[in-house]
Amino acid sequence: MQTQLEKNFLNDFEKNQNIVHKICRIYTTNQDQHNDLFQEITIQIWKNYSKFRGESKFSTWMYRVSLNTAITLYRKSSRRIKTQDFSEVSFKIKSIDYDDTKDQQLRALYGGIRELNDIEKALIFLYLEDKPYKEIAKTLGISEVNARVKMNRSKEKLRKILNP
Amino acid sequence: MELDNYKKVWKNQPEEKNKISALEIYKMTQSKSTSIVKWIFIIGLLEFAFWFALNYIGTNNGALAPYEELNLIKFIDNINYFHYVVVVLFLVLFYRNFSSISSIDNTKTLMKNILLVRKTVKWYVYYNLINVIVFSIILNILIFNTPNGINIISGIDNESLNQEHMMSVFIIAQIVVIAFMILVLWLFYYLLYGILLKKLNKNYKELIKLNEIN
Repeated sequence: MQTQLEKNFLNDFEKNQNIVHKICRIYTTNQDQHNDLFQEITIQIWKNYSKFRGESKFSTWMYRVSLNTAITLYRKSSRRIKTQDFSEVSFKIKSIDYDDTKDQQLRALYGGIRELNDIEKALIFLYLEDKPYKEIAKTLGISEVNARVKMNRSKEKLRKILNP
Repeated sequence: MELDNYKKVWKNQPEEKNKISALEIYKMTQSKSTSIVKWIFIIGLLEFAFWFALNYIGTNNGALAPYEELNLIKFIDNINYFHYVVVVLFLVLFYRNFSSISSIDNTKTLMKNILLVRKTVKWYVYYNLINVIVFSIILNILIFNTPNGINIISGIDNESLNQEHMMSVFIIAQIVVIAFMILVLWLFYYLLYGILLKKLNKNYKELIKLNEIN
């Protein structure tokens, strides 16, 4: 029998799970790690759900806890069956010769983001998700000015990776 | 292609194919966290237990008999009482710092709080090391100021032995033991926390660097 709190949580989480999947895709390189991180984020959000007061949107709150888990709390577990990496090595070469389909562009984008460091990944992710600088700064605990400066550098880095 | 165009691609990306059902999500919430915070807490507690046991065994296994002869028991007892008070204070600090870790804080605060817990344990270990060294020094002074002190401590009851020679052996043996202890500890910490906190330290430095841009 689920409590009302559990029901609300499951409802909120299920609706917004795409955010978590995107974060997992950025911070991990194979399906096992993806599932591992997804589970840890779920646990962290549930553990803190009773503290969610609804002052901000649930999704905003979810961004913060998910990124915190990916950047700080999560350790890639050592026990793992070797599985195929998502990012096929060949996709970069393909994307030059082939037509730029949306799918290839998306894969190139994910591949590029994975080459950034953890903090840059967070910045770029929040940029792609259209988050205002104020929220980005608050999420990471840095000043808005610094968030802007660092964002420009991260974007520049990503641009160079995507357009060598 | 410009980043703004990539942003459009990002926004139009299809939803995850392998959607997790509410039931699966519920099952996940019932499973155990494998976050580094849990490990830091467990390792921290083990360290408290380890040093406490070491101290307890060291002073309660009959090895103190010679000290009784030197009238040092009261001194050792007092040091132990002081030690237990300090251990309790450290445990309170450890628990308080640990409780302040929350994944709903901003990333920088979260990292800072985790590192603070680690630092509390580090200070506790330093305290124990200093304790061992200072205690050894005081004890040595007291022993050397007692006639036949070394003979009593070492249990060798032979006055024909060269006192000076005995003294050197005694001191060198202690230095070797302490140096070995520090080496083992250093290796242990270097490996344990080095591996555990490598990512956290790197990311924390990156965030600090961010704040120093201006």
